[in-house]
Amino acid sequence: MSDDFDRSMWRLLADNLPARPGKTAAVDQGRAVTYAELAAEAGRVADWLVRRGIRPGDRVIVHLRKGIDEVAAMFGAWKMGAVVVNVNIRWTPAQLAYVARDSRARAVILPRNALEALVGEHALPKGTAYLVQGKAEGLVQGADPWGALAADQASAPDEPDPRGLAMIIYTSGSTGAPKGVMLSHRNIRVGAISVADYLGLEESDRLLSVLPYSFDAGLNQLTTMLLTGGTVVHQPLTMPAEIIRMAQTESVTGIAGVPPLWNQIVRLLVDRPTDLPALRRITNTGGKIPPNILELLPQVFPGVDIYLMYGLTEAFRSTYLPPEKFAAKMGSIGRQIPNAQVFAVKHGEGVAGPGEQGELVHAGPLVSMGYWEKPEVTAQKIRPCPELAHLLGDEPVVWSGDLVRVDEDGDLWFVSRMDEMIKTLGFRLSPTEVEDAISQSGLVTDVVAFGVEDADLGQAVHAVVTYLPQADETALAAHCARAMPHYMRPQRYHPWQGAMPRTASGKLDRPAIISAAKAALQN
Amino acid sequence: MSLSKDELIRYIRSELNIDTPLEGDTELFSTGMLDSVAMVGLISFVEQHAGVRVQPGDVTLDNFDTVDAILAYVQSLD
Repeated sequence: MSDDFDRSMWRLLADNLPARPGKTAAVDQGRAVTYAELAAEAGRVADWLVRRGIRPGDRVIVHLRKGIDEVAAMFGAWKMGAVVVNVNIRWTPAQLAYVARDSRARAVILPRNALEALVGEHALPKGTAYLVQGKAEGLVQGADPWGALAADQASAPDEPDPRGLAMIIYTSGSTGAPKGVMLSHRNIRVGAISVADYLGLEESDRLLSVLPYSFDAGLNQLTTMLLTGGTVVHQPLTMPAEIIRMAQTESVTGIAGVPPLWNQIVRLLVDRPTDLPALRRITNTGGKIPPNILELLPQVFPGVDIYLMYGLTEAFRSTYLPPEKFAAKMGSIGRQIPNAQVFAVKHGEGVAGPGEQGELVHAGPLVSMGYWEKPEVTAQKIRPCPELAHLLGDEPVVWSGDLVRVDEDGDLWFVSRMDEMIKTLGFRLSPTEVEDAISQSGLVTDVVAFGVEDADLGQAVHAVVTYLPQADETALAAHCARAMPHYMRPQRYHPWQGAMPRTASGKLDRPAIISAAKAALQN
Repeated sequence: MSLSKDELIRYIRSELNIDTPLEGDTELFSTGMLDSVAMVGLISFVEQHAGVRVQPGDVTLDNFDTVDAILAYVQSLD
């Protein structure tokens, strides 16, 4: 088995060629490619990189809209041994320039308008090679148009160490500049093997890809499809109606989303039920779906398996709740995925037992190589766990910073980020608990709860909410008075106009929302 | 209330920070010029200025991909 772990990213694509060269590998709106065509397109990119002097181990930035070209660009870089840095297309020129400098990228593959924004303070070092999607005329020196790439030379692929660096995923950290998480070929491959195993993915599957490839769960959809010889269907638009339309017309068998997206999709499907006969499973990651939306999932997706999952970029993917437990344990994140070891640890004491809480820690082959050129931060996040020394010795584990509760069966429930726990009136209160209770009112679309220092209470509970039409604070406060114990009720509600900010992977940007609400308090 | 073409174009160009020329038939979302975050702002602008309620199922490329399509959609609601 571990033999199968140690293969390069390029092999993930190329291993399909003998058996299924003519099988559809990827679909865009109005375009599709077979495995052979995808490999040839990647080969053209690889040849270009080599011609431009890029060497194995060099960092290559891929900054493209979700689609076949983006996949070809990543696998082109992997074919010639480079390290892929996928920078979300929604990131700003300033963020792109930061990542390019921090990773010392030698090549950037991007659309024409993104290149044109890299001027002035965002200009990259001279000598950077650019491969540009879009119009070829009048490109700056050093830039080559994708349209003029030479035919695939079928060059021999590089053979990198499978335990070596394959990809850097930059996370837009809540504090400070983005940090790059380093993933080995092995990390990503084991992630594909493990997830394909528990989701039961196979060659006939067609997964709808909405989540970005610069996000571990989004990337994992692509890698599981290449591993099993399936098909990935790209939807770059995050409009729920377009997502569902594409799921229908392309007969997709799986959809992966994050909570704000499921929130929108469920509201759409309640409004307009849609038959999706090919759909076998849906998966959630990136946070907890509000309980009122969770309850509606089986109704709007009848007969579909619902998987609730949890992952950390630093350990790629960590836990899942099997669909047969969904009805009984709505909201649990379940247990470790195959090949991972996940524990809840009580600091200084040991492993948390049934009914207890602890920090989620993750050990095993999915543990990443740490943060790019930040050994101190890495040593803080990924270090041995004395509480698990009897099982793991001094093997480093990822400390998630997430507090989880263990139930009587050993399944895990997310409680809170440890640094977001609210201490009020002597209670330790999870913001998630407050948010769930508020969501249950059916009066809000999004809610974020947080603590504010308070002389009398220790911390006071505050909640930022986006009201549904016809809802207001009076109605919500009345609901909270009925549904929550006194210490849990928000002392203050902050109405949020419009939609709350999201991170590039579509999750609620909690730190931004909380700091905006705190700033408004001070005015 | 009514929503004029000029008003809508002005909003998209200024609020959503688009500095390329914008015509009635310029594709906004299918080309990636605007993203989902911009969509949310655009919907509330349309709702406020045209005095309409946009149903979730109506948020499609057909109705929102161009300025002309948005205006035609708003008219169909009257």
